[in-house]
Amino acid sequence: MTARADPPAAGAPLSLAQEVARARRRRRRAFLRRLFGHPSFLIGFVILVLFALTALLADWLAPYGPTRIHFRAILAPPSADHWLGTDGFGRDVLSRIIYGTRVSLRIGLFVVLFTGIIGTILGTLASYVRWLDALIMRGLDGLMAFPGVLLAIALAAALGPSEMNAIIALTVTFTPRTARIVRASVIVVQQMQYIEAARAVGAGHGRIVFRYILANSLSPLIVQLTFVFAVSIIAEAILSFLGVGPPPPAPSLGNIIADGRTYIQEAWWITVFPGVVIAVAVLGLNLMGDGLRDVIDPRQRSNRGGDH
Amino acid sequence: MRPISRQGRRATSGRTFGIAAALVLTASALVPAGAEAQVAGGELVFVQSSNPPSLDGMATSSQASRNITMNIYETLYGLAEDFSPIPILAEGVEISDDGMTYVFTLRQGVLFHNGNEMTAEDVKASMERYRRVGATANKLNPVRDIEVTGRHEVTFHMTAPTPTFLEAFSSPRAPAVIIPAEDGETEAGRNSFVGTGPYRFVEYVPDSHVTIERFPDYSADTRHDGMDGFGGLKTAYLDRVVFRIIPEPGAQVAALEAGEVHMLEQIPMPAARRLSGSPDIVLHENMPWAFTTFHLNLATPPTDNVKFREAVQVALQMEEIMAIASEGLYQLNHGWQYPGTTFWAGDIGLEYYNLADTARAQALLAEAGYNGEPFSILTDSNIPEHGRAAVVIAEQLRNAGINAVINQVDWPTALNIRLQDSGWNGWTLQMGIEPVQGPVAMIATLTSPARPHFVVPDPELDALFQELTSGATVAERQDSFNRIQTRMYEIFASIKIGDSGLMQAGRANVKGFVPYRYPRFHDVWIEN
Amino acid sequence: MTAFLVRRLLSAIPVLFVVTLVTFLIMWLVPGDITAEIAGPDATAAELAAIRERLGLDRPIWVRALAWYGDLLRGDLGYSYLLNRPVVDAVIERLPVTLSLTALALALATVMGMLLGILAAVRHNTILDQGAMVTALVGLSIPDFWLGVVFIILFGVWLGWLPTGGFVPLSEDPVGWARTMALPAFTLALTQMGVIARMTRSTMLDVLGQDYIRTARAKGMKRHTVIFRHGLRNAMIPIITVIGVITGVLLSGAVVIETVFSLPGVGRLIIGAIQRRDFPIIQGGLLVTACVFVFVNIVVDMLYAWFDPRVRNDR
Repeated sequence: MTARADPPAAGAPLSLAQEVARARRRRRRAFLRRLFGHPSFLIGFVILVLFALTALLADWLAPYGPTRIHFRAILAPPSADHWLGTDGFGRDVLSRIIYGTRVSLRIGLFVVLFTGIIGTILGTLASYVRWLDALIMRGLDGLMAFPGVLLAIALAAALGPSEMNAIIALTVTFTPRTARIVRASVIVVQQMQYIEAARAVGAGHGRIVFRYILANSLSPLIVQLTFVFAVSIIAEAILSFLGVGPPPPAPSLGNIIADGRTYIQEAWWITVFPGVVIAVAVLGLNLMGDGLRDVIDPRQRSNRGGDH
Repeated sequence: MRPISRQGRRATSGRTFGIAAALVLTASALVPAGAEAQVAGGELVFVQSSNPPSLDGMATSSQASRNITMNIYETLYGLAEDFSPIPILAEGVEISDDGMTYVFTLRQGVLFHNGNEMTAEDVKASMERYRRVGATANKLNPVRDIEVTGRHEVTFHMTAPTPTFLEAFSSPRAPAVIIPAEDGETEAGRNSFVGTGPYRFVEYVPDSHVTIERFPDYSADTRHDGMDGFGGLKTAYLDRVVFRIIPEPGAQVAALEAGEVHMLEQIPMPAARRLSGSPDIVLHENMPWAFTTFHLNLATPPTDNVKFREAVQVALQMEEIMAIASEGLYQLNHGWQYPGTTFWAGDIGLEYYNLADTARAQALLAEAGYNGEPFSILTDSNIPEHGRAAVVIAEQLRNAGINAVINQVDWPTALNIRLQDSGWNGWTLQMGIEPVQGPVAMIATLTSPARPHFVVPDPELDALFQELTSGATVAERQDSFNRIQTRMYEIFASIKIGDSGLMQAGRANVKGFVPYRYPRFHDVWIEN
Repeated sequence: MTAFLVRRLLSAIPVLFVVTLVTFLIMWLVPGDITAEIAGPDATAAELAAIRERLGLDRPIWVRALAWYGDLLRGDLGYSYLLNRPVVDAVIERLPVTLSLTALALALATVMGMLLGILAAVRHNTILDQGAMVTALVGLSIPDFWLGVVFIILFGVWLGWLPTGGFVPLSEDPVGWARTMALPAFTLALTQMGVIARMTRSTMLDVLGQDYIRTARAKGMKRHTVIFRHGLRNAMIPIITVIGVITGVLLSGAVVIETVFSLPGVGRLIIGAIQRRDFPIIQGGLLVTACVFVFVNIVVDMLYAWFDPRVRNDR
């Protein structure tokens, strides 16, 4: 039903297709206006953009290399040379935080990506193909029976400390709930009138799934993924703290804290600053998620609330 | 010859006060040494980071276990303050001229914690059990059989003359502790934890604590005036010792500062420096404590090439590695024994040590035909010195043009990986007990028939090791060891980085503590 | 109600079966085993093989799996060679610590969260509302172990008000128990109270706007009676759901907090077991933790069904 409308000749009346396309564009603009007008979303978005820029421009922003050892300045407090001090190896904490942001954001992004894709596939399969439903749901229930990030810890420990393994472990942990959300909204959408209409007109399964079901189930998924992103950042920190996250010497926000916790009284800057950075990043993502949820689907307010 | 270490200078004469007493700055007037009176009673809380894997003295070689078990068990022979073998539960030993018979006479009237007297039957049962479940059971390999030849006499019949047997037998690594004959048939870890030591076992709550209490009927070794290494005259003043298990170093220091615990097994150096002026805290320096070493894998490229390995040796700046790995508590030492000990090999190899010569390294790399292949450094997250050394070594090697990457896993995984022929090129290892056990134990880790730390045995080194173990006189063995150290600096298979220390800390009201290879709680008291 | 309970319990069984499958998968993935820990760093390959055989670790994984299930059906969770006690004992010893920590944290989070949420709802759209919600969100964003480390130094060392770690059993010394639990529970609670605060606020706002509330006020009922008697009771339903969710988070948070505060709980047991490859403990510990969580969810469902009869007939 989306015919590409040719731009109307000036003054000429619009065809139906052109009217529909224009209405859609208007709705989209209104939506974006509401989204960016929402204070939570805006603040969160700005924070996220700042972090993304920091991560992307790390090579230019960081005063030193993240693994460069300054032998004579070990555990040095914040100074003109090292704005956030140095760690037990004499490495500049500010530089490590900047590069660490890159790792933490990268992990969060990949977890969101994989969780989104796999969760959608599983959720759609479960709701669309009846006999798979019980099987998939039981399996996901089993995975959700492990509280919080315990499963991620066990998996990351089993697979070995690496960035990829942390991503895998966290994906496995967050996919079940995401799949559930997709399944729930697919079930709702499936029952709507326009799906029946499409089927009546003879549209094939694939078309129905992609064109209608997924497109309309997207909103709760996006809100959920924003919170997944937030939780991934904290979860990576937990994995690193327990020694099963991205290994040295490459910094991640979590492993900088892990390194510094031995010296919390002698060199508080190593532990405190990355923790604050994590808190701000997660806060930004939580604000974004809140804003998205308010704008996309205000009815959903009662359901989730930063579930980690 | 005594090792240059604080504990080594302890003479067993009169009252032993140790450096702890000298370092104490108490609020009350300074008491002249010799006039402090021991106070009986009290409970001391000692903190260590990990659970003891076992409380069966013979079944484990872990320090976390030895901290506790060496207070409740004793051995026939053990190490003195200067690490020479001395009789503890034995009265002495008579070695036949052909070296094939060792007759151990036992001390009489020594009581177990269950009230029974230790006899030759108990010793035989203990030794047989050691053969079965001992973590280093191979130290009894030279013993063909054990015979009870009297109520207080046990005879070892050897398979071949082994001049270094007594040294190995006294090793505290997995000590051959004496337990009652009733425990002789028990599986590893299932004995009753009854021993002959000044303290006896009370309870173990994993992840929380182990408690031991004073054994009132302890049979003190009156041949000595005071403590001497693992033996000597031991007097227990404390009622109870609680070993608290606190995994977080920051939390350990916090607990010590808050006065919730009395002593820490190890205090991180930055905290030690911060607290060095505090009147409530006393620091006990244990120096040297261990060798910091780096073993290369001779079975896998690029470390299978001797020129490459030489490049690694000359590229490293040992001082920087030691300063960071040990957090400032170290001494530079290129040798495979501690300076001042009997087998110290002098300057052999010094010309290769701490050079940081990147130009020379690069020339050697070119000679070796190095093409940027990855150099995987295996290290673990459990022992902080390992991880820290690996980070610095990696950085230094990269600066010299070697493509070094770190593979940090946990300890069990590291042990598994290092047993493979491939998958790693360098392995960081703190060797704490081997240097103290003497040259034989030290070099045994680098030769066949066991798998050398550097994987592929070196036939010349193996031959020299045979000479070392069979050398009849000390002078002969010293000569063998010199040639061994020369060979080490020809093959560059294992690189000696330096000696690291262990800093321990306690509350100022804990008196009498003298640091050693394990925390000794006899002759320690708490002042009010 | 009973039919509902029975149905929920039955549906828990396949879930737990999946849990055991997952734990076996983890076992299969973990490289190495316990033999390295027992034997020590300079064991030869032959010694390691001998120990492996003695412990039955050389059997193929499916044989070990079947053996484990067989034991499980007899109530035997296996034996830990490193801790020298049956797995069941090791876990039961630690369970009170973890459970009391989680329960205390849950209670604190609920109380603090509800107070915050009520405040925000009642002072809707004022600076207090915004402030309360920002506080809630900030709490959610802070990593709990980081906060724990900071608190240890702040309250344990600098102020000296509370112990820096360790555990005193309730039966031994209730005051000591409370003091050792205070900081860890408070740390955990702070990070989760935000969830409850936000939920309380939104449901209270929903409820307070309803007609029957206005009627009650018009009838002259006092303000706080209205809030607590009517408003809160109806807001309980979604709040209970959220409690179920955050219990899971608190249970898993306990794992890390136990390490930071050196509490001998199940979390630390499992982490230690993973690091030392103590397979029976890993399996037993994960299974018991999952069981506890499933049980909590069932309780939450029961409460939910009790408050809202419509739910009882749902699948």
